[in-house]
Amino acid sequence: MSLSLVDKTKNFFIEIGDLSYFAGRFFKEVLKPPFEFKELLRQCYHMGNRSLVLVSVTGFIIGLVLTLQSRPTLIEFGAVSWMPNMVGISIVRELGPVITALICAGRIASGIGAELGSMRVTEQIDAMEVSGTNPFKYLVVTRILATTLMLPLLVIIGDAIALYGSALVENLKGDVSFQLYFNKVFDALEYGDLIPATTKSFFFGFTIGLVGCYKGYYCKKGTAGVGVAANTAVVFASMLLFFVDFVAVFVSDIFYEL
Amino acid sequence: MAKTTLENLRLGVFVIIGTTLIVLAAYLIGNRQNMFGNTFSISAVFNNVNGLQSGNNVRFSGINVGTVENIEMINDSTIRVNMIIEEKMLKHIRRDAIATIGSDGLVGSMLISITPGLGSESLVVPGDELKTQSRLVTQDMLSTLNITNENAALLTADLLKVTQSLAQGKGILGKLLNDTVMATSLEQTISNLEHASKRTNSMMTKLNKEMGRVNFEESAMGILLADTISGNNIKSILSNFETASKEIEEVTKDINSVMKEIKNGKGAVNYLTTDSTFVNNLDTTIRNIEQGAQSFNENMEALKHNFLTRGYFRKLERRQKKEAEKNQN
Repeated sequence: MSLSLVDKTKNFFIEIGDLSYFAGRFFKEVLKPPFEFKELLRQCYHMGNRSLVLVSVTGFIIGLVLTLQSRPTLIEFGAVSWMPNMVGISIVRELGPVITALICAGRIASGIGAELGSMRVTEQIDAMEVSGTNPFKYLVVTRILATTLMLPLLVIIGDAIALYGSALVENLKGDVSFQLYFNKVFDALEYGDLIPATTKSFFFGFTIGLVGCYKGYYCKKGTAGVGVAANTAVVFASMLLFFVDFVAVFVSDIFYEL
Repeated sequence: MAKTTLENLRLGVFVIIGTTLIVLAAYLIGNRQNMFGNTFSISAVFNNVNGLQSGNNVRFSGINVGTVENIEMINDSTIRVNMIIEEKMLKHIRRDAIATIGSDGLVGSMLISITPGLGSESLVVPGDELKTQSRLVTQDMLSTLNITNENAALLTADLLKVTQSLAQGKGILGKLLNDTVMATSLEQTISNLEHASKRTNSMMTKLNKEMGRVNFEESAMGILLADTISGNNIKSILSNFETASKEIEEVTKDINSVMKEIKNGKGAVNYLTTDSTFVNNLDTTIRNIEQGAQSFNENMEALKHNFLTRGYFRKLERRQKKEAEKNQN
């Protein structure tokens, strides 16, 4: 069935409106007791610790590859000593948060979408509503909070491992000691790099959790709906991440002169 | 339940590691900008800061000791730069230190470089104002370069004149370049030189051959150099010399003692040299002998004229004459 352009546009705005309403409901519920603390910890463990290996490996390879790829160009300009500054700033400011968030979008948003989607399909959510438990509070709030809190931690660990990978390349190929490398990295970094990046990753985490939960919570009926929910959760979350990143860079530009 | 505890433990470890990393990064970044630790503030006044920003490094003798805190405009040509310096540098920076604005490498960010003065002044106290030196600006360099360019233009014009006169064959150098006669004679000279050098070369080869032909093995030099027997001989000769010299020494000693004895008035020689009576006797004796010889002469003359012996003397004279004639012939 093919929709007209007007309908598509209408559906897009409806979805944005629904998502905004969903986010508003989250903020309303998150401050209201009772708090599902145990469930929050469980979700934090599943989203944080379980993603750690993936994030570490990706971060390490990104640092390694970025350094290896930039080396020839920097050598051509005689600026290979600026490698720590360049890699440090690019990883901490942009690459670390965005790549970690994208990986988490792939792993966590799809997971949440599929989990909540299948719960919706098997009418578990409806059963919870009937039995008097607040499914939104138990399922959605804990998950969004968990991603929001865990993503900055994953980002900082990913950054550290990426910088280690970069330092390893410089150490092996360029005879730069680890101490000198990290001295230079922290020489180049400022609070204007670290604070916006960390703040940004909170929003990234929130976006991932929000989109995953939204897509799963409003899953269409039928087993096909679960697949669609998981798939659209990843696609929508990734797209929204870049949008959030765009906004975040503009906002941080106001506070910290680039 | 146990599973949940383990999960929570792992989660706790993860959260602590992440938080520690964030705090560590924040601390390290702040530490670079001297936000922690004891610092003091000094200032310097420039008339151009060349794009210095707050947060740029301050170096004392090349060591990073602080950062630029802020830059404020005092009036249209003076700018005050306030710097935060580590407190431990208080006992090193003196009042005659000079602050300049430089850059970290060709493309690096700007920085303030504090150079120590002569070290005779007292140490700085927080709030002091350092002396400054304006930086070499590109504009000034370009204006100097402009003058250099003008000079270069004059020089090249002169050079053009010189080369033109050279090409036209003026002056000695021009003649050297253009005169064909001189060129041929020069060529001749060079070929003569070449010839001479060839001959020298052949002579040297010959000399070399001659030198090679000299038999070093059988010559005196060769023997001296190579023969061990003659070496031994020389050794024995030397030892003989030694004994001879020893003997000579003894003889000299003896002579010495004899001379001493002579001096002390012992022996005949001494008698001869020191006794004056004997000398007088000798003198009279010799005089007597002289007188005796004279009377003997007179006697002989008388004998010549005596008739008994005249004939013998005449015969003697004639024989003598004959012999003289024979000798003349």
